[in-house]
Amino acid sequence: MSDEQEKRVTNPREQGDELSTTGRLMNYNEQLKRELNKGLDFTRQLDQLITTTDPHELLAAADKLTAFQLNSAYLVYPQQFSKADYYLIFLNRLLQQHQNETVTLRADEDADELYHEFPEITADGHFAFTFADEAEQGAYYTERTTGNALFYLNFQEKVMRINSHAVTNLMVLDYTKRYHFEVIHRFEKYLLAVGQYLQQDFDFDVDFSVLDPANGHFHPFRQVGRPEQALDKLFILASNAGRMLTTSGANDAVLDLGMGTSVQITADPNREAAQWGLIVTDDQQQVSWFDLLFKYEFLRDWYMENIETLEIAADSCYFGD
Amino acid sequence: MSNADINSTETQPLVNKVTSKIDFLQQLQQAIEAHDDRQVYALIDQQRYDHEIQKKDDEGQPDNTTLISDVFPELSSFLSTRLVEYLHKVYPFFYFEEAPEGQYQFYFGNWWGRRLFGTLDVLNVKLVFNDEEYEKVATAFALEAEHKRYNSDQIDDLSQENDRLQQLIDEQDKRDQRKAEIRTQIRQLSQEKGMFFGGAKQRDEKQQLNAELSHLTALDEEADNAYDKIKQNNEKVLALSKEDTLIGYEKQSIVDQFGSFKSFEQRNNSLYRDYIAQLIAAQD
Repeated sequence: MSDEQEKRVTNPREQGDELSTTGRLMNYNEQLKRELNKGLDFTRQLDQLITTTDPHELLAAADKLTAFQLNSAYLVYPQQFSKADYYLIFLNRLLQQHQNETVTLRADEDADELYHEFPEITADGHFAFTFADEAEQGAYYTERTTGNALFYLNFQEKVMRINSHAVTNLMVLDYTKRYHFEVIHRFEKYLLAVGQYLQQDFDFDVDFSVLDPANGHFHPFRQVGRPEQALDKLFILASNAGRMLTTSGANDAVLDLGMGTSVQITADPNREAAQWGLIVTDDQQQVSWFDLLFKYEFLRDWYMENIETLEIAADSCYFGD
Repeated sequence: MSNADINSTETQPLVNKVTSKIDFLQQLQQAIEAHDDRQVYALIDQQRYDHEIQKKDDEGQPDNTTLISDVFPELSSFLSTRLVEYLHKVYPFFYFEEAPEGQYQFYFGNWWGRRLFGTLDVLNVKLVFNDEEYEKVATAFALEAEHKRYNSDQIDDLSQENDRLQQLIDEQDKRDQRKAEIRTQIRQLSQEKGMFFGGAKQRDEKQQLNAELSHLTALDEEADNAYDKIKQNNEKVLALSKEDTLIGYEKQSIVDQFGSFKSFEQRNNSLYRDYIAQLIAAQD
């Protein structure tokens, strides 16, 4: 018995006799049993997280484990995974269930935490979950070195949001200098897969933002109003690249990229007309704005040179500037 | 001789004239009903039709246009359907727009920032170009010989000015250093005042230094505004490059369709003849 536990036993005598020694002991024992049972419940949840083949059991376990308070005044577990680790484990299990585990879970012994590593981006991408505020639900999938939070995940609200700003910073500005598009494209596919599984399995509300290959997704620009100068620049750059920016309708601009792919720059069809943005359309619904930034150098140049005006805004509910 | 006969003799010329007008209007009516556009064109300007199509000149043909001048807008609208269709084949790069009835304007191209290039005179089968815009594309063709674009010179000038302004900004430190040197020198010269020799020489030297100092200060002032000026110039360059790109597309369209600017102009001039010939051919 440790000193502390002895003290508890002797305490009643020292502080007067509100409770009998037997009462004290029984009370202590009950607390201990409750905490041990909680520990057992924890291991059941962990079992479930590790082994279940049912998506809903998997989500339920992850949800519980990320909120689990294992330590108590009576029982402390020195070896534990962190809240952030369970998010990562959940992702790997989710991908496993879909036979698509493209990302590797690794342990950082020094920092005593888990992280994700993507094949071929090993040196420049260590991903782990971070929290805006320990008290808040939801976590950010963040590249550890650069701090770019690629997406937000919330089990309770069933929400996933891709962060266009961080994706552009990390995957367009940074990775484009180091990696072939095939590699970055595989990483993009991985992010898309996570969102798609969350949608299919749990009916999550997912915003793929710039990675969305679906037609009709309106991406709002940061600056309100029609980006006159930027459009003039695109007209010139496209012309130099052998493409023509055309007018369409009242004052929309359309860039036809051939093979059934086009970019329309227009006012938001669903909101006030002052909000301009772009819509990517392709026959196969396979191409996102992100993909085009890689495929067409002039588009990337244009987007990056006019980023102050054109940046596709991230969801301000989840991502600050 | 009855009164009627007398009247007939006296009034015959007038009756003939009126009959001719009635004939004219009847023919026009029939032509419109049959949608015989060729006949309508022949009627509304018989003289031109005879001259250009029949290759004969009948002086003294009655001019009936005043009879129908108040229905020109409707006539224009009526004739425009086929004409615009035809023009779109001949000039696939002109985009026509009707507003209001019977009045057409057309844009050059469907590209971003395309220019409003002129209006269409339907009754005369004539493209009325916007002089200023037409002149630009004509000049751009002429500049090909010099391997220049329409705004090349202006863009070069602005770029050079920007280079100079950037240099002014970059050399600020150097100027500051030189100004400090000059001030020291002037101070030294002032302290030497009242010495025996070279009073005049010192004055000259001081004057020169002051002149250099004010020159440097002027440059400083220019450098202060240089960022704004560079930004303004960049905006001008953007507008000029955009115009060059537009004109480039216009030239390309003309070359693709007509081979050369000259052929394009020839085709514009023979538009009436070509169109009527096409209407005749379509009738056969």
